[in-house]
Amino acid sequence: MDVQVLQVLLSKTLEMSAPILLAAMAGALCRQAGIVNIGLEGLMLAGAFGAVVFGHLGGPAAGLGGAVLCALLSGVVFALFVVGMDADQIVAGLGLNLLVVGLAGYLLPVLFNVQGVFSPPGLQPLPRWHLPLVESLPVAGGLLSGYDPVVYLSWASVPACWFFLYRTVLGAHMRAAGEAEEAARAAGINAAGVKWLALLAGAVLCALAGAQLSLSQVTLFNKQMTAGRGFIALAAFYFGNARPMPTAIASLLFGFFEALQFRLQAERGVPSQMVQMLPYLAVVLALVLVAVRERRRRIRVASPG
Amino acid sequence: MRMGAVDVMDTTDTVDAGYTGGAGTDLRRSPLAPGRFGALAQGLLPFVLALLAGAVVLAATGKDPLQIYSIVFRQAFLGTTNLADTLLFSTPLVFTGLAALVAFRAGVFNVGVEGSLYLGAFAAAWAGFTLTGLPGAALVPLCFLLAVLAGGLWAWVPALLKAHLQVDEVVTTFMLNYVAILFTSLLVNGPFLAPGTANSMSPQVAPQAQIPTFMPGSQFNWSFVLAVLLAVGVWWLLQSTVPGFAIRMVGDNARFAAASGISVKRVVVYSMLISGALGGLAGASHVLGVTGRFIDNFSPGYGFQGIAVALLAAGRPILVVPAAIFFGALTNGGGLVQLFSNVPIDLINVLQGTVMLFATARFALRFRLRRAGRRVGRGPEAVPEAAVEKGAHAEVQADAGAGAGAGAGAGAGAGAGAGRDGAAGEA
Repeated sequence: MDVQVLQVLLSKTLEMSAPILLAAMAGALCRQAGIVNIGLEGLMLAGAFGAVVFGHLGGPAAGLGGAVLCALLSGVVFALFVVGMDADQIVAGLGLNLLVVGLAGYLLPVLFNVQGVFSPPGLQPLPRWHLPLVESLPVAGGLLSGYDPVVYLSWASVPACWFFLYRTVLGAHMRAAGEAEEAARAAGINAAGVKWLALLAGAVLCALAGAQLSLSQVTLFNKQMTAGRGFIALAAFYFGNARPMPTAIASLLFGFFEALQFRLQAERGVPSQMVQMLPYLAVVLALVLVAVRERRRRIRVASPG
Repeated sequence: MRMGAVDVMDTTDTVDAGYTGGAGTDLRRSPLAPGRFGALAQGLLPFVLALLAGAVVLAATGKDPLQIYSIVFRQAFLGTTNLADTLLFSTPLVFTGLAALVAFRAGVFNVGVEGSLYLGAFAAAWAGFTLTGLPGAALVPLCFLLAVLAGGLWAWVPALLKAHLQVDEVVTTFMLNYVAILFTSLLVNGPFLAPGTANSMSPQVAPQAQIPTFMPGSQFNWSFVLAVLLAVGVWWLLQSTVPGFAIRMVGDNARFAAASGISVKRVVVYSMLISGALGGLAGASHVLGVTGRFIDNFSPGYGFQGIAVALLAAGRPILVVPAAIFFGALTNGGGLVQLFSNVPIDLINVLQGTVMLFATARFALRFRLRRAGRRVGRGPEAVPEAAVEKGAHAEVQADAGAGAGAGAGAGAGAGAGAGRDGAAGEA
């Protein structure tokens, strides 16, 4: 594989891992607050929907705003059930996913008279930022420049989440509420409040993820477009134990397999279905590896010496 | 295999923490455990609220909910052919509802029924178009048997990973759905593509492999009867057999079950096997009863809809049948409404999502009634729960049995203020 191909593959990796990374950060935040957010998939889809609908009305900036609005609304519903009414997290998360798919599928024909794929004419994609100084660097220039703003935001979200969780009082409260809710409450922490915060912040991150999918990777919406990325993001933060840095690394890894899949689809002779399985199998394999590692660690802890 | 002390620690040391995230996720409490689902009436509350949510969506987009619902009702239930079509549409949902239910009752979240369904469908179709020399009496059971094996084996992989390595089954089963759909697509686009067709489908199964229908004008067929018999079978399994008892024990309280000498790992594995096998049957019944061949990407999400069915049935196998008929009726009636009133059939997913959201939500009213109910006494099912206290969490949900009936009766009213009161009630 020559350098050119590798460079394209790596820059595709960075681009395709952005939504996974953002959703994984959302999941990590929620996980630290004690909630496993199975609804990431639905929140992302709500974001993708809002991005196209509002982007079609008022351009990319409006699209981002619309994405945040739709995902936040979904996030509020989810938080109402999971925090407010103490619903089972997994069941409610799966329910949210189904609800968003249903609403998107219902609203497209009713509002825009389209079935399946919604690709309004004149829908503008997110702009691509060419960073002036970085771009002139020899190899890294091509790798680090020329993405849409959400990709850069996805990178920024990693140190931001780390700083928030480990260097702010609110972040410490969030981790406390996730670690031992009763104790946190006894210490005067508003546990329900930080859970709400985590879920809504997560919804905003998922909104960006969805917008990147529907306004940058492609410029259209269809109700299957998240294609399991919410669950891949779940796997990413399991892999990273809900800590920002390792979670980000896992997201990049899964993004790599997705980019590889697109690259291999161009090859002749390999059935596309086989190639498309790659990212999903990679996720299962990664979880197995982590579990084996964890098991070894447990055994070591259990039998010192 | 009896579990040693070390094994017990291994699978259950963090049961109460629920979802531990990270690498190892351990068994959670089943959302269908009797603490949450005591009575028939508890399924009615999400049912009513889902219909209300659908009405709100319809009204918000300028449609008349009452008119739409009445068209759906008439199309779904009035007239023999209509009724037969409703039962036809509900058939796969009975299978997948049971599949979701068995796993959920054990506290295992198998969201991979869809994958089992695809593999079961393909296995049945393969036998149906390959072993065409066999008589129907041998071929049909063989098709179903292969579907059971294919669906069960597909669920076996995540089951083993869950039981022995604590790999989270929600993610693995969901990921494997995509793999199953792509794998079967690969098969019918390559080696098993029907000769002379451009569409991605397998050859037609032999005529004697097709399940006979009841009447002309509808494809309603005997597989519905099989589905109902299986509902009774699953009820019997859970209620009257040792493995079924173990499933309920593990789902209600995995730590207590392990302490009583039940091998939690084994229960996880066989509940997933049963779940996958039922998913495989769903696929087989669809191929042999409706389409007559395997068609690429044929399922509109029967596997996921089964989760809503199981929750609407409040974890009761027999109630899976009416719950599936409810969604089958919506599908049947919804098709007509989509055609003539421009109301997309996707509204059903909205109703199903709403059912799932409300299914395990705790309402303020229920909470108060439950306290009153505790003095009156609780059903026998709450005993394992009571035997091992699990802290405040368990106390709140300890018994819903007594309060549930009245709670659901006043359901709509409870929904409105539930968020606020629920939080206040717990504090």
